[in-house]
Amino acid sequence: MSEQLPVAEEETTYAPCTASCPVHTDTRQFVECIVEGRYEDALELLLDANPFSSVCGRICHHPCEQSCRRAKVDAPVGLMRLKRFVMEATREYRASRRKAMDVARDGRRIAVVGSGPSGLTAARDLARGGFKVVVFERDPMPGGLLGHAIPRYRLPYAVVKEDIDDILSLGVRLETGVEVGKDLRIDDLFEEGFASVLIATGLSESRALAVSGIDSRGVLLALPFLRAVLSPQPPTLGDSVVVIGGGNVAVDVARSARRLGAQRVTMVCLESRSKMPAWQWEIEETEEEGIHIMDSWGPAAVFNEDGAVRGLELKRCTAVFDAEGRFNPEFDMSDTATVVADNVVLAIGQRGDLTCLEGSRVEGEDGRIGWEGETLATSAPGVFACGEVVTGQGSAVEAVFDGHRAAAAIAHYLATGDLLQQPAMELPHIGDLPDEVAAKVKTLSPVAVSSRPAEERVEDFAEIERGFTEAEALAEARRCMACTTGALVDEAKCAACLTCVRICPFGVATVDQTAAMPRDECQACGLCAAQCPAAAIALKRFGTNQMKERVQGLVAELKRSDSSEPLIVSYCCLFEMTGRDFIRRAQQEYPQRGVLPVMVPCVARLSVADMLGPFEVGAEGLVIIACSEDGCLYPTAEQRLLARVRSAKGVLAEIGLEPERIDYWKTEGSAEVSWRAFWALSRRKLSRMLTAGEEDRE
Amino acid sequence: MIVAERKPLSEIRGFVEDYHRLLIVGCGTCATVCLAGGEAEVKVVASGLRISFLRDGKEVEILESCVTRQCEPEFVEPLKEKVLDEAVEAVVSLGCGVGVNFLAQTLETVPVFPGVNTKFFGAAVEPGVWVEMCAGCGNCILHLTGGICPIARCSKSILNGPCGGSRDGKCEIDPEIECGWALIVERMKRLGTLDKLEEILPPRDWSTSRHGGPRKVTHQEVAAVGPQQGEGEP
Repeated sequence: MSEQLPVAEEETTYAPCTASCPVHTDTRQFVECIVEGRYEDALELLLDANPFSSVCGRICHHPCEQSCRRAKVDAPVGLMRLKRFVMEATREYRASRRKAMDVARDGRRIAVVGSGPSGLTAARDLARGGFKVVVFERDPMPGGLLGHAIPRYRLPYAVVKEDIDDILSLGVRLETGVEVGKDLRIDDLFEEGFASVLIATGLSESRALAVSGIDSRGVLLALPFLRAVLSPQPPTLGDSVVVIGGGNVAVDVARSARRLGAQRVTMVCLESRSKMPAWQWEIEETEEEGIHIMDSWGPAAVFNEDGAVRGLELKRCTAVFDAEGRFNPEFDMSDTATVVADNVVLAIGQRGDLTCLEGSRVEGEDGRIGWEGETLATSAPGVFACGEVVTGQGSAVEAVFDGHRAAAAIAHYLATGDLLQQPAMELPHIGDLPDEVAAKVKTLSPVAVSSRPAEERVEDFAEIERGFTEAEALAEARRCMACTTGALVDEAKCAACLTCVRICPFGVATVDQTAAMPRDECQACGLCAAQCPAAAIALKRFGTNQMKERVQGLVAELKRSDSSEPLIVSYCCLFEMTGRDFIRRAQQEYPQRGVLPVMVPCVARLSVADMLGPFEVGAEGLVIIACSEDGCLYPTAEQRLLARVRSAKGVLAEIGLEPERIDYWKTEGSAEVSWRAFWALSRRKLSRMLTAGEEDRE
Repeated sequence: MIVAERKPLSEIRGFVEDYHRLLIVGCGTCATVCLAGGEAEVKVVASGLRISFLRDGKEVEILESCVTRQCEPEFVEPLKEKVLDEAVEAVVSLGCGVGVNFLAQTLETVPVFPGVNTKFFGAAVEPGVWVEMCAGCGNCILHLTGGICPIARCSKSILNGPCGGSRDGKCEIDPEIECGWALIVERMKRLGTLDKLEEILPPRDWSTSRHGGPRKVTHQEVAAVGPQQGEGEP
């Protein structure tokens, strides 16, 4: 009999979380790793997709969550915080796995100008590809805006450093304090033997504004301000600070100003409240911190006293963009306002600093480098550009994505001499969860992590939010609906018996010629697979298919080593752990005490054959520990499981064994609280039964 | 569909007591659909037997297989090789009685034992519940009885019912069993053809059923053809 599982057709439509992530992180896979306690595997997966995973665990704009299909049921899965959990839980492991690649396979050298997320991602990929990479950074510390602009209450530098240390450990050389274009020209790099140069200098200059009085004392630019905030001598501000701008940088400025002691901080922006470019959650936190937002206003003039700024005159903004969608604000000059200010900070956008192009053949003007979007090539052969300096302002994960593209572009160029076309591509996804399915999915409230109270957090630059504890992360990870990883049908085996249709608790299985569980609807509960009489259904993930052999191997080994103790195999619901240590310890200690715990991602997926398997190789008893009362995610799953337990007991009875050898328990509290007791009770019962059986025979 | 039910493992075990190398063969059609003998049930039977032999300290190798239909030579032929190659001493078929017969005929020297009891031709009236609806008598009279078969669904197979044992639509032999004739009458009432039942059906010729001996059907279009004229000549 073929033991091969149905094979998934090549994935052509993706879960929205993966499709919407710029680097297409396999979100469900990393969440599954968390659920199974495989945090290290989750780390590897995350870092593969995104070397700035620690950073993105804090500050990502998380499009994955915004597209999460769970929103239709209750609220999206907290994927960003789960990522942060993985990065925090594996810190030691991550440090220990860093091994320098001593010898680059390809001797060629590549220079990367700029050490922000795009440049360092490209450097990482290229180093992994065997090239020798040198990164030039004009500042003393690497990280680009992550290191020099983003306030520490959002992103501690230690977190940035974690990601960067990983990249450097691959043998990437970092030259700080070297400003390309001044200290060293791009052409010099080629003369020094670099085969290719990547410009990834980001947007490091703030744009200024041409209104009267803008040169008053106390008018500041956002990036120099944020940079100064991070310096040992943060700027001194007056009581009233007005921030011009409605984007994320403006928010960073306003919140930093508040933390530096400004009592009245006001954000003034052209956009209406709902159109502000800053992330909604950032705006909410900003207001919690007592920052006042004046939306749909534009600066008309800065007024001063003895050259020092005293306030702003504002004019009503009636439209930000014109009919063609270009930035072209319109104002109603009859509607004006004034706002007092001891300082005004301009956060109206950034531009690139093109110093690095000095003396090179790379064309560029007005802060933008001449560049082709699909090849990332500049006008000079061998010189490529990526990241915000060419794409414009974006988020960290978008910069990482562009870094990957740049590495691919350079590797291709060095291998073939040609430019690689990388057209913009959106991954097709399965769309929203259908309403009728969403209505049947059990609601599970998201695990809330409270921020520090606003009045406390404006006192310092310490992080405002803690990460998930392990128990919280496990609980939140279980909320993932595992979209697109559900049932697969081996059509050659399917007898179109309709069992799946009759048993599917979500009403999504269909049978036409053969069974089908539409990928956009299947909830991966596995009840159909456990019941399919043709063994034609498998789950793409979380299956029990290979489990029987694995368990039999373990049992056989235990029986060989110590045959005196009766052995119980305990299938346990994976979803009831609050930490992986408990089960790791149990798996270490309990086999000697006659219990082999086997974690199953939902015991309702166990087939009758799965239950009998351990007995085949000599186990004397079986314990099934299900989730706690009302804990099961899937409607009808427990009744279905209990029916299968009865069948398995029936088989034992048919061959003259006591059906009571199979025990069924429901978790009480948590695994940590109740499982040891269940194991003890079942062991005692089995021992008594076996002793009584022996006496009977005598 | 043919409906079957797995035999108790104790009975199956009794069949194969003297063998050391067994093959359990499922059937991917009717026996699968009625949940009695598909691939999943093969695993259960094999597992149950392994446990049973292990308890008794008997070393028995149990192989598992499942074919699309045990009643077709093309599907069964590969089993012949498997049985030979793997030195199988006895086979347990989880196909219906037809499968057991056909396997037995194919595997000339290897014993084949039934792993299921073949029950009837029936339909799934609700999930997991099958009811007998046809007796395979070889001469359908369903046009006379509103599409409900008195042979299969009346306990006495009477042609002019119901009998005096019909009570509130149930059969006297078991209150769980519906009276076939009550069903027929209700059905024909709904069709407006109740008057047809006024006509007394004469005694049947049962030679089309089992009484005429084992039956055979030949479809001439697909039946083997001899060499055409001119073929085989130089």
